[in-house]
Amino acid sequence: MTTREAVARVRRREGVAVIELIGDLNAAAEPALDEAWTAATSERPEAVVLSFENSGYINSTGIALVVGLLASARTHRIPIRAYGLSDHYREIFEITRLADFMAIEDDEDSAVQRAVQGAGGDGNG
Amino acid sequence: MSSNDEQPAAANRDAANWAKLVSRLKVAQVPDGAVNLNVDGRQLTSPIQGFGKMWQKTYVVRLPGERVTPTELIATWRRQFGEFWPKGNHFYAPLTGIEPGDVALLNLRMPGGTTLSTGVMVLYADEESFTLMTPQGHMFAGWITFSAARQDDETVVQSQVLMRASDPIFELALTMGGHRQEDLFWSQTLGNVAAHFGHPDAVVETKVVCVDKRRQWSRWRNVWHSSAIRSTIYMVEAPIRAITPHKRPAA
Repeated sequence: MTTREAVARVRRREGVAVIELIGDLNAAAEPALDEAWTAATSERPEAVVLSFENSGYINSTGIALVVGLLASARTHRIPIRAYGLSDHYREIFEITRLADFMAIEDDEDSAVQRAVQGAGGDGNG
Repeated sequence: MSSNDEQPAAANRDAANWAKLVSRLKVAQVPDGAVNLNVDGRQLTSPIQGFGKMWQKTYVVRLPGERVTPTELIATWRRQFGEFWPKGNHFYAPLTGIEPGDVALLNLRMPGGTTLSTGVMVLYADEESFTLMTPQGHMFAGWITFSAARQDDETVVQSQVLMRASDPIFELALTMGGHRQEDLFWSQTLGNVAAHFGHPDAVVETKVVCVDKRRQWSRWRNVWHSSAIRSTIYMVEAPIRAITPHKRPAA
């Protein structure tokens, strides 16, 4: 199976850190994700938004990495949201019950806006 | 920003690897000798739904690459999963082996000669890895991923657990020696896998990381589903069931 190397870019918008996930989310993505998380939370953001808009294949190890981010977000009381998931991966987030703890939005504007407003819960359960 | 054009392709690549969405588990068939308790009708639980501290435990064993490839190893492991478990513990998988969406029953040996009955669902499976996810009442909420990968000249075999104890009783049990038992369980399992491929003396490395030190006290009610309590009640009631066979549960 061909894979796309994972890259995670961080940018800030209205006090919210947006982590853009590019490529496949699997075991090899851990260093990139860790680095991005550190960069995103070094200056405490209002919230973190995970962008899956340009992500590719996600396997179960990739889901575990997201759980690790959720745990870290919870520890530091940082709300976390996601957007850009395809229907398929939305369903995966439902199966794995990540969706119980991470609000999933349709697009970046909605995710950032709701994160800023704190509307609809903080996404951390 | 462009839309996720590549996502449908990615989804197509792995749609068959993931289990389908289920609201509650259903055991399709109960193998001879298995006790079907604490699985039917239960919801799955991720590590986030548990009570205790969150742990990531990784067990690794390395085999010579010429002995077995990662895909060969995972194919064997999926087919004979329960055979690698330590003696006295039973994994009742469907005859076809481990496939996404399958529900397997577990009967685990506990201290004092009791048997804990629970189960798991196969969340994900591909050629180089597979993941089991636990239902409500299992001793831990989370999943365990088994994988194999080629690194240099070696096939690196790994089990990685991401979990929280489901409820306060299991958290206490894990603290009072349960973690050590679990580490031993998976070390023995990986040792058995290594032995199967001709390396009975392979060393299993263990790495334990506490991902979240906080306990989720709002989840104490998970104890209602406790497989330990319900398994114990089931055993205590055995004499009553023996004289009232029409009340016998699915076993």
